[in-house]
Amino acid sequence: MGAQEVFDAINDGSAASLPLLAWLSPTFPVGAFAYSHGLEAAVEAADIVDADTLREWLRDLLRHGAGRNDCILLAAAWRAAKAGEFAGLAELNGLALALAPSRERLLETRAQGDAFVAAISAAWPCEEMTEFAARETAGAAYPIALGVAAAGHGVPLESTTRAFLLGFVSNLVSAAVRLGSIGQTDGQKIIAASMRDVAAIASAARVATPADLGGASMRSDIASMRHEVQYSRLFRS
Amino acid sequence: MRLEFAATGARTELFRVFETGGLRVRCPNTARGCEAVIVNTGGGIAGGDHAKIDIVAGDDADATITTAAAEKVYRAQNAEASVEVSLRAGARSRVEWLPQETILFDGAHLSRRLDIDLDSTASLTLMECVVFGRMAMGELSIEGSFRDRWRVRRDRRLIFAEDARIDGDITGLLDRPAIGRNARASALFVHVAPDAEARIDAIREALEPVACEWGASAWNGMAVVRMLSPSPELLRLAILALLRAMRGRAAPRVWQ
Repeated sequence: MGAQEVFDAINDGSAASLPLLAWLSPTFPVGAFAYSHGLEAAVEAADIVDADTLREWLRDLLRHGAGRNDCILLAAAWRAAKAGEFAGLAELNGLALALAPSRERLLETRAQGDAFVAAISAAWPCEEMTEFAARETAGAAYPIALGVAAAGHGVPLESTTRAFLLGFVSNLVSAAVRLGSIGQTDGQKIIAASMRDVAAIASAARVATPADLGGASMRSDIASMRHEVQYSRLFRS
Repeated sequence: MRLEFAATGARTELFRVFETGGLRVRCPNTARGCEAVIVNTGGGIAGGDHAKIDIVAGDDADATITTAAAEKVYRAQNAEASVEVSLRAGARSRVEWLPQETILFDGAHLSRRLDIDLDSTASLTLMECVVFGRMAMGELSIEGSFRDRWRVRRDRRLIFAEDARIDGDITGLLDRPAIGRNARASALFVHVAPDAEARIDAIREALEPVACEWGASAWNGMAVVRMLSPSPELLRLAILALLRAMRGRAAPRVWQ
């Protein structure tokens, strides 16, 4: 697919993006509320104590962590599914799973990915998801599965990466609220303030390829590892 | 450069060596297996340098590969330096890739690749450590770029990938909370073996007393440790403690 077609797809002003509201809603049965991406350990270690520290932590995840990388993987999956390149899609999914930096981060992406594939296959079936699911024996990475569904239902790529990132931030803010680090209003302020990063990263991912993958959120990775042995925990990651 | 290790009876020998560029290898006597120490006679890596190291460990080989000294990566104008390491480990082999620290000077641009192909019965230990800036020279803030891409395959299936990417104001980024919180040295350790997951408690126990930040996890027949410290010396002590626990003996002599 050429640049012009990608551009046209993104500029689709129709209702094509509506399914995202359902798929990324907290009520979509992927269990997003159960995962904190290591945030619970960062709260325990007092790396996150208030709105300021949470905002800075999330900024690192968006720009230098799973936020940016998952967008790149999602975009590559969307393009591969659109082009019917299912062998390449399976390879991308394998890479997305292998990039998990810890046992619980693998669980986080794969449990949500598998649940997403199951829900889409049951309620929003499309040929692309059927083809993808038929090849995945080791499970599906969540951003890959979302990219496949979006491509299958004609949802524009950039809307998908934006909505995915917004969902990522909202879910972690919600986790911080439940952990008592911040209040509801501060949480909404953080989500609102992250919009510029969300738009910029989602837009850059549109033209990025897996060669652009890479991050530096090492302390977040360490937090997810330490979460495994945390004494008291609300979250699965 | 290319290094090929083969088991002959109970011993392992470095039976074939191709030395290229400024890279040389020597094999000090060791109590167990074969230890190969790579020497960079060029004294460091400059912009535009491309080093390639291919390592093959045959069935049943027991090989440790390390470096004679920390690797310095000098300031480069525009040309990126690259280091590519590939390693293939045969059935029942035990292979360790334990180079000493890579030190990024201010203005360094380095891209590294580590490609590993393992037999499912092989045991592999990878450990890479990066120091950001010449701290002993008072170089506390550096700019540049660093890319590190690892791909580990077991029976041709990708099981672990690492993509590190840190550009521009490197130390400014390392000061950030979810990145390094003032770290100036980082290490990544990956152990893949049929019994790797069972070692996780021993790993955590060995690291409990160390004075640096660390996390350890085990899944899919791997144990992974990530470590960070503002002090390269403290990080090195932590690495020595981890290697001692994993090897049941001290780190290679060049590390001491």
